[in-house]
Formats: sequence, C-alpha cells, structure tokens
Amino acid sequence: MKCHVPGPNVKVLGRTVHALARFGDELYVESLADCVLLRTLNAAESAYAVVKFSKNFFSYFNYNYYSTEDNEGLKCKISMKSALHTFKSPTHMDKQVENLEIKLDPESCKLIFQLRCKHGIVKTHFVSILDCKAMQAVYTKDLVPNRITSPHKILSEALSNFQSSDDQVTVEVSSQNMLLRNYIDTLADLSKVIRTQVTLKPAEFDGYTIGADTMITFTLKEFKALLAFAEALSLPIQIHFETTGRPVVFIVHNGSTFEAHFVLATSKADNASQITTQNTTHNERTKRKDVSSSNHSARKKPNLNTDISKCLEEDSHLFNFIHIPEEHPVAVSTDGNVGNNNPQIENNMDCDVILPSPTAKALIRRVFKRCFEQTIDLTNIQGTVLAEDSDPDT
Amino acid sequence: MDDEMSEYYFTASMDSGKTLCSLLKAIQFQEFAVFCALAEGLKLTVEEGKCVQASAYVPADNFTEYHVRSDVDVMFKINISVLAECLNIFGSGEESSLKMYYRCEGSPLILVLQPQSVHNVMTDCEISTQTADSVLELRDEDTSEVAKLVLKAPAFLGLLADLERSCDIMELKLSPEHPNISIITYGMQDRSCIDMPKSSEMVQSFNCTHAVTLKYQLHHIRLIMKALAVSTKVVVRCSSNGLLLLQLKLEKEDQRQMFSEFYIVPLLDD
Amino acid sequence: MKFRAVMIDAGPMREFTNIVSTISKLSKECVARIADDQLYFIVSDENSGPAPPILWCEIPHAMFFSEYQMVGLDDDHKDIYLEFTSTNLARSLITLKNAKSLKMKLTKKQCPCLTLEIEVPSSTSQQTRQVTHDIPVKVIPRKLWSDFQEPKIPKPDISIQLPTLKQLRTTIDRMRTMAAEVMLWASAEGRLTLQIKTDTSKVSTRFKDLRVEAFEGPIEHSDSETETQANEDKSNICYCRVDAKKFSMFLSADQISHNRTVCSIVHKRLVVLCLQTEENVKLQCFITGIVY
Repeated sequence: MKCHVPGPNVKVLGRTVHALARFGDELYVESLADCVLLRTLNAAESAYAVVKFSKNFFSYFNYNYYSTEDNEGLKCKISMKSALHTFKSPTHMDKQVENLEIKLDPESCKLIFQLRCKHGIVKTHFVSILDCKAMQAVYTKDLVPNRITSPHKILSEALSNFQSSDDQVTVEVSSQNMLLRNYIDTLADLSKVIRTQVTLKPAEFDGYTIGADTMITFTLKEFKALLAFAEALSLPIQIHFETTGRPVVFIVHNGSTFEAHFVLATSKADNASQITTQNTTHNERTKRKDVSSSNHSARKKPNLNTDISKCLEEDSHLFNFIHIPEEHPVAVSTDGNVGNNNPQIENNMDCDVILPSPTAKALIRRVFKRCFEQTIDLTNIQGTVLAEDSDPDT
Repeated sequence: MDDEMSEYYFTASMDSGKTLCSLLKAIQFQEFAVFCALAEGLKLTVEEGKCVQASAYVPADNFTEYHVRSDVDVMFKINISVLAECLNIFGSGEESSLKMYYRCEGSPLILVLQPQSVHNVMTDCEISTQTADSVLELRDEDTSEVAKLVLKAPAFLGLLADLERSCDIMELKLSPEHPNISIITYGMQDRSCIDMPKSSEMVQSFNCTHAVTLKYQLHHIRLIMKALAVSTKVVVRCSSNGLLLLQLKLEKEDQRQMFSEFYIVPLLDD
Repeated sequence: MKFRAVMIDAGPMREFTNIVSTISKLSKECVARIADDQLYFIVSDENSGPAPPILWCEIPHAMFFSEYQMVGLDDDHKDIYLEFTSTNLARSLITLKNAKSLKMKLTKKQCPCLTLEIEVPSSTSQQTRQVTHDIPVKVIPRKLWSDFQEPKIPKPDISIQLPTLKQLRTTIDRMRTMAAEVMLWASAEGRLTLQIKTDTSKVSTRFKDLRVEAFEGPIEHSDSETETQANEDKSNICYCRVDAKKFSMFLSADQISHNRTVCSIVHKRLVVLCLQTEENVKLQCFITGIVY
C-alpha cells in the first residue's frame, strides 16, 4: 500500500488514532481497493472501533503497491503506541504538516509514515509490523429500533455532570426522554457514592426515534473517547441500539471521506451478577457454541450475528465481506502463533466474538515472506511457489 | 550607609527580576549553582554529573546599577531553587524591582523585592552561601569546530518536544550533503528520523566541514527545552571531539539580551 | 426532619459554589447545620476530633435562597445536623455554572441524601435539562451536637485588616515550597509580616499601612525570639507560628467575592482569619499556633 494524505486530513487521521488509542493497544490496518480501514479492539473485548477512509480522503492512493497479486491489499497490525507517536499532537499538526505519506516497506517489514512539514522539515517514522493479519467484528447497525442523532455537545455537557470516578453509564430511553445515570456497582458502598441523573429531551437531538423503550449500560472510558473524537471534528453522532445485552453502535462520519463506527458492548443495568471488570475466558467462549437464542446476555461483548447468511443480507455497506473459511481449510502450523488457532472456524463463527480472519491459509503473500520467517512454517503452505525461499535475514 | 555599601563585594539593581527568574528556572535542573559576579555581568552555572554544564549569563547592561569590587573574586555556591522562588515571591503576574547585596565572603546573598503595582509591601530574603567548588572546564583547546548552525528557538523546541521521551539516545547527523541535519531516535521496535535541510526557514545559518554522526543522551538534550522556550535563537556548535555547545539568546522588550549556554558531552561508542 | 431550599439567582449560586469549593479544599468531611435563620458549614480538624472546628461558616438564608423551609426533630432540637463529603457537594455544584435554578432537599433514597435538582439551559433547544445529584449524608445524632457549636476563643490580642487575599496566597504558595511553617507578625502600627526560616534562608514579606481594628496590648515578650525592625516597640507586636499549608488553604477563599477580611491573633496561640461578603456570609478559619 502507498497513499498520500493531504495536509488538512492529517489532523483527522491524528484524531482517529488518538480516539482508537483509548480503545485498544493494537492498531489493525487494512487497505482495500476503495478504502483504508483502521480497527482496534479493547483488551476486555467489550469495545471495538473501525474507521473507514475512502479513496477520496487521500490525494494519492495505491492500495496494493508492492503487491505481486493484483487484488490483495495490505493487512497488518502495528502497536498503537507507535501510531500515537507519529500523530503526537493533532492540533499542532494542522498547522505544521503539509503532506503525509504512508507506505509499506516489505523489505524491512515496516510501515513508513513520512510527514512533510513546513520549513522543509521531513519527519519519518519506521513502524514495525507486529503481525500480518486483519481483524473484524460483525454487528447489527441498521435493523435496530432505536436510532438517535445527537450533536456532540449535548452528550459531552451531560457527561460533565458525572464524577471522574464514575466508570459506567446507564442510558434509559423512552419516547419522552433520555435519562443518563452513573452506574453504581452493587458491591459499592452506597453511603459514599453520589448518584447523578441527567434528563435530556427529544427536542435536544437532531433525530430521535425510539422503537422500543430500553435501558443500556456501557463503559464511559470508550464513550468519552468517541465523544472527544466527534467534538474535535465538529461532527454529530448517530447512535444505533436495540436492547440491553446487545451492542450499541456509535457512528461519526463526514458524509464523504470517512466513517467511524464505535461498537460498545452493553450489560444489563443493575444486574447483581455483573462484575465491572472481567475478562471473558476462552472457556466461556467455546462453551457457548449454540447461541441461536440470542437473548443470552453477552457479558460485555459485542454480539455477533448468529447466522452468516443473515449477515450477507444486511445493509452493512461498509463491511459487506466476511472472511468465509474455505471448503477445505489448509492445515497451518501454529507454532509461531500467527493468530489463527481455530481450525474449526465454521463452528465457531456462530458463537465466537471476534474472529481473526484466516491468515495463513488464504492470505499469505510472497511479499511478506520475511515477516513470517519466525512465525510461520512455510512448508505447510499449499499452492504454487512463485519464488524460492531466499536465505532468511539474520 | 552608602559608604558601607561601596565596601560590599557585589551590589546590583534591576527594574524587574522576571526575566532573570525565568532564565534561572531554565537551568534549574540541579539544586545548587555557582554564582559568579564578573565585571561584565552575572553568571550562574549548574552541572549534572560530568556530562552537562549549563550557565545563565546576564550582561551588566541589564541592570540599572551593577557594582563588583575589582580586587576580589565574587564566586559562591547557592541554592538555585530557593533563589528562583524568592525572585518569584510576588508571582509571575507581577513585575517587581530587585536589589541584590553580597557583603563579603561567607555572607548570605540578600535580595529586596518590591512589586511595581502595590506600594505597601516588600520582601527581603537572606540566602546562605557556601564556598564554590571549581567549575568544570569542558572546552578542549585542542579540538576544532566541525559544525555551527543557527536555528530559530521556538521551532527547534517544537522538534525536540516531538521526540519520543521513552528513547534513551538521540543521534545527531550533520553533513554538508542533503539532508544536512538529521535527528534520529530509536524506540523498542521503531525508529524515527527528522530531516532538516539547511534551506529550511528554521535554519538561519549552517556551516559544516565534514559529515559527523554523534550520539547524546536524550535526557541531556531535553534539559535545554525550558531555556529554548524563553529564547529567540540558538547557536549549535559541534567540536571534533563531539562536545556540543548550545548558546541561547533571550531578548527582552527593551532590546537587552540575556544568554544561556549548555555544554553536552557525547556518548562514546564502545 | 425536612429540608427544602430553592435558589434562582445567578449571584448567590456562584457564591454558594465558591464557598463550598473553598471548604472542600480545607477538608474532605464537612458538617452542615441547618437552622431556622441560617445555614452553617462546620469543618473540624481531622486529627483532633470534632471540637474545636477549624472552619465556621454562617450563611443567612434570606439573601441566598428564594425559598427555605426546614423542620427539625422536635421543639427542643430544632436544627438538622448532617455530615457529608465536601468534595462531593463541591463537585456537584459545578453544574450550577450556567444553571437556572437549584433545589436542595433532604431525601431518603438507599440512605439519607441531600438531593440537588438543577435546571440547566440546553445549548440546542429552548427547553431546560434537569440534572439530579443524590449526595449521601449522615444524620448526626443529638448527643454529638455539642461538638458543633460556635467555638469560644480567647479575646484576640490584635485584629488587623488583611492585604488582598490573592496576593497573600501567591506569596504563601512560594514560601511553602521552602518551608512548612510560617510566622505571622502583626503590629499595632498596621504592619503585617509573613516570615519563613530554614537552615539556608530567611524570607520576610512585609505589609504596611493596614487598618488595625482592635489592639488589646501591650504584649509581653519574654523570649529572645522576637525580632523587630529598627525603632519598633516590642510591646506593640504579637506573632504566631502556623502551618503554611493550612494558611494557604484558607486563602483559596479569595474566590469568594468579599468586602472585608480580618486577621486576629492571640499571641503565639491562635490565628483567626475572617471573611465577610455582601450577602452577610461570615467565614471564619481557626489555625492553632505551633509552639515548641
């Protein structure tokens, strides 16, 4: 991949990275024929963000530069810290940066960010690629009963009334109003905690459709991050949700060059069995193989659609492809832990949360050969070898 | 009283101690400084290990009155943070007139401050002094100057502020060839490089006899940032032994100038 | 027990916020005494138990609240004493910045609470938003009420007008970086001096031409500690050594718009700082002298 971001858009990219950094520690970059996708997932796997930059966001766009296979773009994972370092101060960048070039250097297995700044200064960051895979979540966005379009200001204003120690918020909606409350853990000492409630009327919003009265609870950390993102770019926020337990999707877009989706898992408010911090264990995930009854409260996990065919019918125009496993999955040696350790992908598709898309099998690229040296056993890859292995780098 | 004062080793007056205070804060990375009242002006020096030496230099024309006895050496060790706090006693929003007195060897340094906007208050301070250890001479007469650059201070500060703090080492590459100035830092897995051609508006002048690559502790380089923030320009001189000298000029509204200077010793390759 | 009060004017709302904010800087815990005619805020020294308090604030409700109703326990116990975390109240009152009205009332939710209902104008529509804060409070039993009465202090040796609080605060904050204790000197000639002494430095900030409200001298000085300017009569001077941090915390009251600030000193033993406002609010801070 090789692309150029014109000056004014560098700030947008910077703000995006800063927002995503408050979600997760790793940034997944994927280039497709018509766009670039940045994704991240938080450690608790309860918050996911994906930002799509269309071709017209860039002044130059070549998604498969360096690729030997015509329709394969870039798929990689870099450390969020490295990305943050490149976009250190977005407001500052607005005045300083004239152009940003992002390109892949397959030789050294690095993603190179080169900023051309005022006064002839050039800043180049050589960021190591941690892994060559993509990541994606599937979630419902459009067929939801509740949709609200909100100016970013009112939500920030409402949140300013809460204590900084509050870490979750409960949103209760009806057609009459929206109530925001700080969520109080049932284990907390009630004689010490302030309870705050803010009432917002439908007239405050640009759009307010409530098909089903409901109450959802989600974490404030990521919510504040996406609000700050909308505020920095002066854009409204669309909120799509259905009911407790199902994820809430926040959409921020400018109608032309980029669109950001922030998906937060919701938990049942005031549910005594809820613990505020927990890590979904793998055991739990594999246990829930049969999730046709989707009412099963997903504890802080975005809910995956249970039926793949349903996904394809959905009007999810941004994310209309899912990595469907091949008929005869190639057995891949996993000693290097490339990330794909689920040979039974078909079975897990319907109950697992976020799947790393198959990597080794279908997507090995000759050009990433060196990246895989330590992590993959090339002898297991089937298919025509277009080039002999050269000597591995020291 | 005046006769007695003329016997004093050192006395000085200033309309406002504010700039002096910000200059002192810029070199305040150690607790103690060596205070020297020379005929040409005031010089305070701070050292960190044997690797960094910073000085603040205030030429005599910055003072409304400046008197140093010619038959003595006025040099003593003083707590620089206490000195800076005293100069700032009425807050940074207030311009206060300043008088300094040093009677003789071993006397405390006496400061008298009066704010310009309030007339019913004044502060007097007595700060104890100690015998000064000798100041390290880092300059080596036998080395030659390999490069000299003059940069705009605010822009240079912006560059330094952008460097990844977690990196230990900063590599400086100077060359007559393009790109003339490169600053490289190495992170855990990544590498960052800033290229500054001599044609850049940031670079006011550039002289380099031959290419050099030098390494410094980033922490030492960052020590100049406070001084850069109050300065207008910085002259960077590089010796053949790698010693870096940064001279910063601070210009006040009345066109008087104050200076700060930093000597930084390079990291030698094993 | 019942309590309900309403505030609708911007001025009182701002002052009330500033008062509570100052209190929260002095101490985490605070006691509110709700009486018929006044509202009191009492802060006690965290280390030495409830009595005597270090802050005593009286707010006559007439100028603050447009409505004020309270019902005590019974005829003999007319007041309500509540203990709460001052930072909770201070933090909640930040909402008052642009508010249209504030209603405070005593409620019982999962525990007794002081509920604040604040009406805030919306930036996007004509309607107002409602923000509710339930601040948990503890009702103080009658047997402990005696701990929260107005402190009885000895008659001060001198009462002198204070210089601008903001100026004092700037200077004290600089002094605090150098020493933990500050000496306060006041003279019948209208001079006030703040002084710190360490092994390596001595810094004195001297104010003059201050109005002396009262002087009960002459003061007896038996020790050699007393320093004076040349020609000053020792018997006209008294001093007290106090903790610099405590002194600085009171000075954050400079946020409250005031028309009178007085410092009273009981020689060597006590410093009382008193601030009064247009609305007759009286805020008093008691700092015990440090004696070696």
